[in-house]
Amino acid sequence: MKLIKVIFPIILAVAWTYVLNSNFGTVPPIGKLFSPFHGFWQNAEGPESSEQSEETLQIPGLHQPVQVFYDEMAIPHVFATDDHDLFLAQGYLTAKDRLWQMEFQTHFAGGRISEIVGEKGLASDQFQRRMGAVYGAEKALAGMMQDPSSNLALDSYTEGVNAYINSLTDRTLPLEYKLLNYQPEPWAPIKSALFLKNMSFVLASGTDELKMTNIVRKYGKEVAENLFPNYPFEESPIIPSGSPIDFKPVPIPAAPKDFIGLGSSMQTPEKDPNIGSNNWAVSGNKTVSGMPILANDPHLTLSLPSIWYQMQLVAPGVNVYGSTMPGAPNVIGGFNKNIAWGVTNVGSDVLDWYQIKFKDASKKEYWHDGQWKKTTMRIEKFQIRGKKEMVDTIFFTHHGPVVYLSHEKPFRSNIPVGHALKWIAHEKSQELSAFYRLNRAKNYNEYKDALTYYAAPAQNFVFASNEGDIALWVNGRFPLKAKLQGKYLMDGTDAAADWQGYIPQAHNPHVLNPTRQFVSSANQFSTDADYPYYLGWQYAPSERGRRINERLEAMTKATVDSLRELQNDVFNIRARRMLPLLLAQVKNPTAKQLKVMQELKKWNFQNAPNLIAPTIFENWISTMHSALWDDEFEQDVTIPMSKPSVDRTLKMIIEEPNAIWWDNVKTKNIHETISDIITSSLQADIDSLEKQHGPMSQESWAWYKHKQTGVRHLIPGMDALSRLNIPIGGGGTIVNATTMKTGPSWRLVVELSKMGTPKGYGVYPGGQSGNPGSNHYDDLIDTWAKGELKPLLYMDSANQRTDRIRKKIILDK
Amino acid sequence: MKRQLNTSNKLVLGLIMILVGGLAENYFAWYSMGIVFGILSYVFALNGKSAFWLGLAAGFILWGASAFWVDLQHPSTLPSRMAQIFPLGGKVWVIMLLTGIFGGLTGGIWSFLGAKLRF
Repeated sequence: MKLIKVIFPIILAVAWTYVLNSNFGTVPPIGKLFSPFHGFWQNAEGPESSEQSEETLQIPGLHQPVQVFYDEMAIPHVFATDDHDLFLAQGYLTAKDRLWQMEFQTHFAGGRISEIVGEKGLASDQFQRRMGAVYGAEKALAGMMQDPSSNLALDSYTEGVNAYINSLTDRTLPLEYKLLNYQPEPWAPIKSALFLKNMSFVLASGTDELKMTNIVRKYGKEVAENLFPNYPFEESPIIPSGSPIDFKPVPIPAAPKDFIGLGSSMQTPEKDPNIGSNNWAVSGNKTVSGMPILANDPHLTLSLPSIWYQMQLVAPGVNVYGSTMPGAPNVIGGFNKNIAWGVTNVGSDVLDWYQIKFKDASKKEYWHDGQWKKTTMRIEKFQIRGKKEMVDTIFFTHHGPVVYLSHEKPFRSNIPVGHALKWIAHEKSQELSAFYRLNRAKNYNEYKDALTYYAAPAQNFVFASNEGDIALWVNGRFPLKAKLQGKYLMDGTDAAADWQGYIPQAHNPHVLNPTRQFVSSANQFSTDADYPYYLGWQYAPSERGRRINERLEAMTKATVDSLRELQNDVFNIRARRMLPLLLAQVKNPTAKQLKVMQELKKWNFQNAPNLIAPTIFENWISTMHSALWDDEFEQDVTIPMSKPSVDRTLKMIIEEPNAIWWDNVKTKNIHETISDIITSSLQADIDSLEKQHGPMSQESWAWYKHKQTGVRHLIPGMDALSRLNIPIGGGGTIVNATTMKTGPSWRLVVELSKMGTPKGYGVYPGGQSGNPGSNHYDDLIDTWAKGELKPLLYMDSANQRTDRIRKKIILDK
Repeated sequence: MKRQLNTSNKLVLGLIMILVGGLAENYFAWYSMGIVFGILSYVFALNGKSAFWLGLAAGFILWGASAFWVDLQHPSTLPSRMAQIFPLGGKVWVIMLLTGIFGGLTGGIWSFLGAKLRF
């Protein structure tokens, strides 16, 4: 009897403890998480005291002590006595602020999210691995390990991250581990490779081949080429027209035979088209100081913890300041005493699909170049949390992986089934060697040499030096293609359709000290038609580039501040061009339409946060584009098609007002004119805005409220750890390129100096710390939103006197 | 033999629980406080009812006051962010109260078990 009496309390205590120690789906382990001795309470960091503090940490593996000075933005300035210690410290310090992010992002890149979130992460994981993310990272790692400088950097960085992981206790674990209830695993060099290769996923995985083939199948090649031209109607290419070509081009391969693939796929959400960036440099002839000034703002999906981590890295032979990526050694974009550099993405076509003909259901052989060739198989294992391990087999041809077999459902609608993927991201590469050398480069020639190591994702590397040079290389490894090769799905049996080598790196588009006294890029076309090679048919819309070029053209007496203002320019060049054309087509407007049109007519074309005209205009472009093209190009969800660009639409408004495309084919017996479509799209614009925000008012239709720019935590739906509805102007085709989820992820302006130290200014939408309990988690967002920059502290030596140091840490062996 | 404690003895034992429980929490898992309470209730041969209430009160005070203290020492937006995740309207006092309740129940349940083990 007494025994029975005791069983109930035992069960109760054990069950209670078990339940509070476990997570259930997204519900975290309540007991562990709420315990003021172990849980989230322990992650709270008060503001640092105003007095400078000093502390020594024991880090095994260091050769000599490393001095670290944190400034008021919590940016570490690291002084080491050799490269080994420098990279070890970089790994340790980055992990100290960003460990969870580093691990989460590399888990994502490596297709291992289901190990953390369970089955719901599986489709994304499988997609990552089928696209060959892990395969590519393994090859990249092999390439990086061949260069002693990268080998040392990766190994030392790994040592540093692991030193931090080993110092963690239940109490000091980053908050997200507590919320999601798991533990960090040891870091390894492959994770850095996964991280770097994932940049190709983010920036160079766009693919329209399937959609374009669907269009050819439906409307024929002539229509496809007419509506999807290979150079825009309006453009201002990165390498100015007339720039000298200082190389003898190699022969272009013959075009493969004409081929119309099978096409078609299923409909699922796809990637954000708004990722792009700006950079430029103006020569000393255009600046007040007589020295070049460089500006860069890479646009990415904005996130917390921040994408970038600022650092100054000092050791014999290097003193570099800039933005680093948590997960990779070296500075990615920044400056040293002699040079400054920055990057924007190149939209060249480095990803192609080949329709595969397997011999039989075993898929052991495929037809190519008149013979059956063997596939290889790669086994991928998925350790799904709370479920049994899943095993997946990927079939590889010499092109690359067959991402989805013919009977499978792709993760994204633009991925064709039954096709092999040929992608630059699968190649052996040495990006770290490029950054290692850029960090140490002293002049144009050393910058140029550094770039020869860089493969993917291709970037526009803008450059300025204190010798007075400005330059821009459109740089990466580009396949040597016949014109338009890879615009459509290709025939995997035709050897002539294979990539036939690469454009020699020295032939990549470039310009040094152009007569116009500035260089710039904003993801638009790299060159005009005079460039001898084919790089791709589709780049980002030209508006940002054209606006930047027209302002730099007119600029004299430039200062850091005038370039900062240009980074924050919200002038809508598209509206200046299109609005008069659209308004002229509106026939017999209703009273409501008149009111809206008045608002547009008095607009100064600024996409300012509190105006309502940008809301009306941007939404109108979207309803007009839909009204014109959806009837022909969005008929069937199982046959996804691209839609002609806004640039092509503009040409149609100006030059082809009677084109057949204006008619809405869904309305039988009615023939719509250009004016009918534009007028009805204005009404659709008003209707949709009223539905979203209520009747028109300066308050509710304000641009920033409609645009809803936010910086979101990496865990989807974690609003409490995000900053939403930030009052900021701009837009996708605006220099200040803020959209709902994307925007300038880092803004840098650097003025070089002949004798003294360079003057750097920068900001990013977030903060140095990845801990939501820290003051430095999101402390820079307001400065970013206001369009201001922070002066960056560039220390000459560890003994430099400055009142900006808040904390000194000595890392000791 | 079950012991009946008078009020001052209860107060002393409650204080001992808070001190030893707090010490244990500093070195061991989050539920170590509960185990300590259980042992104390067993050693002091409390009856089930007093063991539960004493454990509940001591656990509530230990966790609630510690949370309050941590927030005082390291003021940050984190408690309020956590109170949005859960969701408690972002109210810090509610998340402190909840912390106290979880500590209290953990303490009470284990303390009750300790008392019942003496048969």
